[in-house]
Formats: sequence, structure tokens, C-alpha cells
Amino acid sequence: MSVTIDGRGLEPPKPFELAMEALADLKAGEELMLLLDRMPWPLFRILDREGYRHSNRIRDDGVVEIRIVAP
Amino acid sequence: MSGAGHAFSYDAAPAFSTPLRFFLTAPLFGVAAGLLLLAAPELLASRWTPGALALTHLMAVGFMLSVMVGALFQILPVVAGAEVPRARPLATLAHAGLTAGAASLSLGLGAGAPDFLVAAVALLGTSFALFLGAIARGLRRAPIAQATPRDLRLAAAGLGIALLLGLTLAMVLARGLPLPLVTLLELHVGWAWLGGAGLLLAATSWVVVPMFQITPSYPAPLTRYWALATCGALVVWSGAVLAGQAGAALLLAAVLIALAALFAVTTLRLQQRSRRSTPDGTTRAFQLGMTSLLAGLACLLAGHWSAHDAWPILAGILILHGGFASVIQGMLYKIVPFLAWLHLTQDGVRAPNVKKLLPDTPVRRQLVAHGAALATLLAAAASGSAGLGRLAGILVAVEFAWLLANLMCVVRAYRRARAA
Repeated sequence: MSVTIDGRGLEPPKPFELAMEALADLKAGEELMLLLDRMPWPLFRILDREGYRHSNRIRDDGVVEIRIVAP
Repeated sequence: MSGAGHAFSYDAAPAFSTPLRFFLTAPLFGVAAGLLLLAAPELLASRWTPGALALTHLMAVGFMLSVMVGALFQILPVVAGAEVPRARPLATLAHAGLTAGAASLSLGLGAGAPDFLVAAVALLGTSFALFLGAIARGLRRAPIAQATPRDLRLAAAGLGIALLLGLTLAMVLARGLPLPLVTLLELHVGWAWLGGAGLLLAATSWVVVPMFQITPSYPAPLTRYWALATCGALVVWSGAVLAGQAGAALLLAAVLIALAALFAVTTLRLQQRSRRSTPDGTTRAFQLGMTSLLAGLACLLAGHWSAHDAWPILAGILILHGGFASVIQGMLYKIVPFLAWLHLTQDGVRAPNVKKLLPDTPVRRQLVAHGAALATLLAAAASGSAGLGRLAGILVAVEFAWLLANLMCVVRAYRRARAA
């Protein structure tokens, strides 16, 4: 299963809160895609600590895509 | 499989106390400025009296620079993905030096005490060198392609130049160094408000205005070229001032004023396009800040054509208290609750909603006090009334004490959440 959260245009820390709620529901191997206006550096710290695999890219239109896979 | 090519050392992420110590002592300097004005309301009559210089530096160094330094320790990791190595011990030292140095500088300037000025030079010079060294290492790790890290580098350099000029001036006053006082003073003022504070405000605004005020991004040409153009114009203006080319210096000063006005007008226009239905306290503070900045720039221009003493004083009040202090207070009201929430969440503590950490009502009320203080300061400077000057002093002291009280509400909520 793959879940997408569009956090663009939301005031911090709302996108962060939505991401944390979605991560709590994710089962092993499932994916979460985040669409954001900027790179969520503090979120990476939590993802690394909790063992989530994650990758990111900045699209041509400036949207930041974060792909997270649950451990 | 993190893939941005960044070097992000999570273990080095600063504690909440790292920026917080700067944010909590800074308002005390605002309170001190208010009390000084209450005791000596005639300080608003001339900008070059010892008391007026003390008042200006209580605000510029004690309040503004403290917040700026504290914010940079946390902005780099949060918005630029760059950690400041050994942030906690460095911040402790820089904070102690900056706080003692700001107090010593104001005392030295106000009381005409050379020994305090020399102590301020040592304290501010050492703490700022520590700070610059730390953030230079952090900025080296930031992705160069982004406008914010590049402009933060320029702002750090601008602040360094302003401080170097200021410390030299302090030594001219304290030990009679044979250097041209008026030229140094002109350069110090230009670099401090535009090369340091202005560039830092712009570099942070590129990120925090769209992020917290839900506006579109700043136009790409502005974020790409504004800081470079401003820095370049400041360098050429400095050359003209040093060479004694008054005509060229005036023309370049007009260019710098136009660049500052462009930033303020663009920010106001972006705020008009905010997706927020009702402007919150921070948005209001930014609107007041940008409008005051524009009015201050108009007073600067008026001062070039009119010999009336009030213009430069009104410009100083509008730019320092109306412009920078408004925006800084607005930013503190976003940054402090956000950092409290972030640190609780990162540490696995269930964090209250940011609106619960700091509701909007006390923020709005404090900002009304800030607006009243600004209006009274302007009325006192324009009229020369000692009574209004005293009232302005009381309002400034109340405003900054209230700011501190609001920030302490966040700290208490943070501690409660940790203890739960």
C-alpha cells in the first residue's frame, strides 16, 4: 500500500504532524509519499532514528518529494 | 537512501536551550532601553549624544543582534540542512560574551566610560568571532545552490564588517585612535542596518514569509540577485565614502534605499496574496515592520534635502523599532513555539498543538503595545515633548517585558509537556 500526503501550502508544523500520523499507521514495507514546499530536514532525523528508509528529490516545478518506506 | 547529497549530522542538532537563551535575554535589553528613556527623555532630541548612542545599542546589539545570533544557530539546521558543530558550548560562550558585551557597550557609550568600551570590544569581538567561526563551518555544509544559505553567508560577512567598524569606533572613542570618526561612523551605520541586519532579514524572509504566512514564494530574480546587488552596492558606496566622493556616495545611498524599498514592497505584496483568511499576529507584525521600514527610508531621503534635526531620529525609530523590532518580534512568535514543538516531537514526547503552546490573543495584545510604543516614540521625537518621551519609555519597557512574558509561556508549556 502507498499513501500520499500533500503538505504544500500548510503552515508548519502541520505537514510534519500529518506525516507523523501517517507513519504511525504504516505497516512494514509500506510506502508514504510526502509532497512539500521545502526539504523537511528535522523529519529526516526522526526517520533515521526509527529506521525508516527514505529518499528525496526536487521536481522541476520546485515541489519536494519524499518517499518513505516503513521498516 | 537519503538522496540530497547533504552532510547532516543529526547528533549535532542543537538543544532547544541553544537558541532560547538568546531569545530570553534579548527582551531585557529592550526593557533597559525603555527605562533609560523614562529616566532621560531628552535622549530623543539628538542621535549623537552619549545617551542616544547607548539607547540605540541597547536595541541594536542587546536586542536585535542577540536574537539574530540565537536564530542563526537554529535556522541553519532547520531550513538549510546544515549543522553548527559543537553548537551548545559555542552558543553558551557566545551568549555570555554578547550579553555582557552589549551591556558594557551601552554603559561605556552612555556614561562615557572608556574602560567599559574596551571591555565591550574584547567581549563582543571574541564572542562574535566564535559565532562567525561556528556558523561558517555550518554554512560550508549547506547546499550552495539555495539562495538562503548563500545570502546567510553574505549577511554573516556584513554583520562581521559592521561589528569590526563598530569595535574600531569604540577604540577611537576609548583610546583616541587617530582614525576619521565621521567616515567610520557612516560606514558602520550603513553596514550594520543594511549589510548585516537587512541582509539577514531578507535571507530569512525568503524562507519564513512563504512558510509561516502562507504566501507565494518571493520572485526568483529577487531571491537570486537582491542580496548580491545590495552587497555590491554597499561595497561601491563604501569606496565612495572612503574616497570622499560625496556626490557618488549620495547616489549610491539612493540606490541602497531603493533596494531596501523593493524588498519591503515585495514582502507587503506577497502578504496581500496570503492564503490565510485572517492575518495572524506575525503577519500583522511584518506588515507594520515593512510599512515602518518604507516610512523610515522616506525620512532618510527627507533628511538629505532638509536640515531639520528630527528626520534622522524619526528614520532611526522607524527602521530600528518600527522595522526590525516588529519583524523580529513577529518571527520570535513563530520560531519559539515551533522549536518547542519540534524538540518535543523529535524527543518522542507528545507535543501540544503550537496554538496551545502560544495562543494568538496574548501575541496580538503585546503587538498592540508595541504599536503604541512606536507611535509614542515618533510623537515624542517629532514634538520634543519630555512627557511624551517618558511615556514612550514606559511603553517600550512594557512592550518588551510583555514579549518576554509571552515567550516564557511557551517555555512553561514545553516543560509541562516534558514532565507529563
